[in-house]
Amino acid sequence: MLSLTTLCSPNETAASSSYQPPVFRLRSYNQTLPPTLCSASDSVANQPKMSSPDEQDPRISKISSAIRVIPNFPKPGIMFQDITTLLLDTKAFRDTIDLFVERYRGKDISVVAGIEARGFIFGPPIALAIGAKFVPMRKPNKLPGEVISEEYSLEYGTDKIEMHVGAVQAGERSLIIDDLIATGGTLCAAIRLLERVGVHVVECACVIELPELKGRERLGDKPLFVLVSST
Amino acid sequence: MLVREQLTMSDYRDKDPLIHGIQSKIRVVPNFPKPGIMFQDITTLLLDPKAFKDTIDLFVERYKGKNISVVAGIEARGFIFGPPIALEIGAKFVPLRKPKKLPGKVISEEYVLEYGKDCLEMHVGAVEPGERALVVDDLIATGGTLCAAMQLLERVGAEVVECACVIELPDLKGRERLNGKPLYVLVESH
Repeated sequence: MLSLTTLCSPNETAASSSYQPPVFRLRSYNQTLPPTLCSASDSVANQPKMSSPDEQDPRISKISSAIRVIPNFPKPGIMFQDITTLLLDTKAFRDTIDLFVERYRGKDISVVAGIEARGFIFGPPIALAIGAKFVPMRKPNKLPGEVISEEYSLEYGTDKIEMHVGAVQAGERSLIIDDLIATGGTLCAAIRLLERVGVHVVECACVIELPELKGRERLGDKPLFVLVSST
Repeated sequence: MLVREQLTMSDYRDKDPLIHGIQSKIRVVPNFPKPGIMFQDITTLLLDPKAFKDTIDLFVERYKGKNISVVAGIEARGFIFGPPIALEIGAKFVPLRKPKKLPGKVISEEYVLEYGKDCLEMHVGAVEPGERALVVDDLIATGGTLCAAMQLLERVGAEVVECACVIELPDLKGRERLNGKPLYVLVESH
C-alpha cells in the first residue's frame, strides 16, 4: 500500500496538519428524507471544531486523512484538496462510496448527476449501488447530443455546465455529486439545470466541504451532505 | 434502428445477450465533434442501470482475482467506468489527466493527434514498480491516447496487463498500435 508520506513534501505535511476532521454524526434515515435532514446540516456549523471520536462514523477519519492538501494550486493562496490519494487507498475509497450508498439506498432516487470531472469518479459507483442512472454534467461542447445549458458566475467571468436533453424525466428524484463544494456556484448551476426539467433534487453530496466559502448557504433550501469539512 | 445499422458483431458476441443489451444502449451521434465523424455516445448506456451494471460486471468477471492492483482511467469517460471496476476488484484507481489538472507532481507523456499533439499526465507516486495495471477508457479509436497511458505506467515500472474499453472502432486499427498489449472490448463498431 502506498504510504502517504511518499507523496507529501514537508510543506504539504504542515498544511495537512491544519486539517480538521468532520464534526457531525451521520444519522440513519427512514423512507422519506425528513426535514430534520436540514437541521442536521445546520448543526454542523454550530458545533465546535473538534468532536469526540465516537460522534462520527469511524470510517470518516481514515477518509479525511487520505486526502492530500496541495498548497498554492492552481494559484498562490489556494490549499487544494486532492482526492486522488483517497482513490489510492482501496479501503478508504470503498468506505467513501459506502457512506453515500448507506444514506441514499432505498430512498427512491432514480438519478445520480455527477459534475465533470471528479464527480464522474464518485457518482457512478453510487448510482450502480442504489440502482439509479448516472447523468454526467459537463463543460460546454463535450456532450455530443442536444443539450441544455446553465451559466454560472466565477470569480472573474462565467462558465457553463450542460446536460443531455432527455437524460432525466420530470418528477424523478435526483442527487448531485461532486468531490468538493467551495463557493457552491457549480452545484447551484447543476441544481437549476435539473429543476428546469422538472426533477426534484433531493440532496447535494460531496466528499469535502470548505465551509469558509459558504457554499452551503448558496444552495439555499437544498440539503447538502458532506463527509469531511475542511477549514 | 440507426444503432443496429452502424454496429456489426462477431457471431460469438452476437450470442451474448448481455453484450447485445449493452450495444443497443449506445447512441451514435452523426457529425460530432465534426462532419463525417459518427460519435459513439455512451451516456445513453449510463441511463440504463441494468446495462451499465452489466458493462461493469463483464469487466469485473474478467479481472477479479488476477492480482491487478491498479486501474488507470483516462479523463474523462474513463473516470466513469474505471472506478466501479477498481472498487469491485480491490484495486486502486489512478486518474490519467489532461495537462495541468492534477495538483501534485506529475509525469507527462506526449502523443500525436491528427493535427498537433496532446499530453497525458499521472501523479508521481501513484503507482509503484511491479504493480499490475489495467488501462480503462470508454472507446479505442486510433489508440494514441491508450498508448500514451501505457507508456506512463510502464515508465514507472508497472506492468500493463490489458487495455479495456467498452467500444472499439476496428477500422482505425488502434489495436495494432498497442505494441502487442492485449486489448479487451465489449462492442465493435464499424
